[in-house]
Amino acid sequence: MKNNNKDQLKNDYMNIVIPEELDFAVRKSLMEGKKKMNKQKYLKIIKTTAATAAVIATVFTVSINTSEALALTLSEIPVINKIVRVLTFREYKINEDTYDADIKTPAIEGLENKELESSLNEKYLEENKLLYEQFTSDMESMKANNGGHLGVDSGYVVKTDTDKILSVGRYVVNTVGSSSTTFQYDTIDKENEILITLPSLFKDESYIDVISENIKEQMLELHKIDEYNVYWIEGIEDASMAVFNKISSNQSFYISSDNKLIISFDKYEVAPGYMGVIEFEIPSDILGDVLISDEYIK
Amino acid sequence: MRTRLKLEKQYEDYVIENKEKHYRIAYSYVKNADDALDIVQEAVFKAYVSLNTLKNSEYMKTWFYRILVNSSLDFLRKQKKVVTMDEENIAAFNDCVFDEYENIDLNNALDELPDDCRSIVILRFFEDLKIEEIAQILDENVNTVKTRLYKSLNKLRIEMND
Repeated sequence: MKNNNKDQLKNDYMNIVIPEELDFAVRKSLMEGKKKMNKQKYLKIIKTTAATAAVIATVFTVSINTSEALALTLSEIPVINKIVRVLTFREYKINEDTYDADIKTPAIEGLENKELESSLNEKYLEENKLLYEQFTSDMESMKANNGGHLGVDSGYVVKTDTDKILSVGRYVVNTVGSSSTTFQYDTIDKENEILITLPSLFKDESYIDVISENIKEQMLELHKIDEYNVYWIEGIEDASMAVFNKISSNQSFYISSDNKLIISFDKYEVAPGYMGVIEFEIPSDILGDVLISDEYIK
Repeated sequence: MRTRLKLEKQYEDYVIENKEKHYRIAYSYVKNADDALDIVQEAVFKAYVSLNTLKNSEYMKTWFYRILVNSSLDFLRKQKKVVTMDEENIAAFNDCVFDEYENIDLNNALDELPDDCRSIVILRFFEDLKIEEIAQILDENVNTVKTRLYKSLNKLRIEMND
């Protein structure tokens, strides 16, 4: 053994190279934290709006299920081979040595409800324009500060495409040394041409607790099977570090092709980064009491 | 609401000001720039959304270190499922001598300490934290921390005078 001392050891430690992306990475995480906190602050406002949306959707679905006459008239309307599909509308690309952006914008076409179609497509376009602008401004500020690596990859996946349901997921992967991933879904009832929101599926807000409790049970179960499955909930983490308690009323979700409700969490939302984006299938039988109907989920 | 905003601002200043310290701590666990960045980002985010658990802003440092150390340990636990062979290890197997890296023995020795002991050495000597603070961060009592520190230093054969 060489003649080591504390100072030498400390010297090594202080010589750990600090990557140029560090400052940017820290600021980015702060921004994400702030966003998340603001979401919670404004949850109340969203809740009221969501409730109104739920009422409108309820009227519609209930009338289909209850009024035989109406159902008959609806079924008699000839449907001329409606093809609703998703295609890539616009792609933004940047490819400079350490800066990489690939942003694909989806567009939905074939809906007769043009209002719904264009409101979704405009939303996609608008969000991706913002994403692109954010990226170019981040890139400029990084270039001005000794440079670094920066990437954004955004696109979409069609999660479900049945006769009844279309679920489109849009993802954004931000890379600053490491990466963060977010997923957002839109689920459309192709027959009735309406956008399905999470609150619109349920009678009242009790779904939030029913689903949250089930997810926490699943998390504990997964942790029991493999201790490396770590989630930020009580029972796995310290109570003070239990970040996840309840889903938000507008939590990301989609409906699978076998009519199951899938709840999705972004990277870092409820678990350490290595767990990635996480999905939970909610057993339909526990939702029976809170669902408005078994039209979509069974 | 105002105190919350003040706390947020204080927290933001703190993590920006001390980012390099935090990065070094994470790096000393994972030995890889990308993973260390990942851990710092994760800790910064996680701490932000748990700010309400920080009862007194005077404890921001120990509180944050605790989150950071736990994130690093979580990551290592996950990674241990995969046995990696890095250059240093390969060199050791090949019986190579890396003269230019004076401290390779010592670095490896530090790596061979159990995680909790390594945390103590890093926090005590590299970050100059008090034994009491370390005990808080690691959620151990002061005597346990002391004992482990002496054992670790003994193993590292480091002379110490405190």
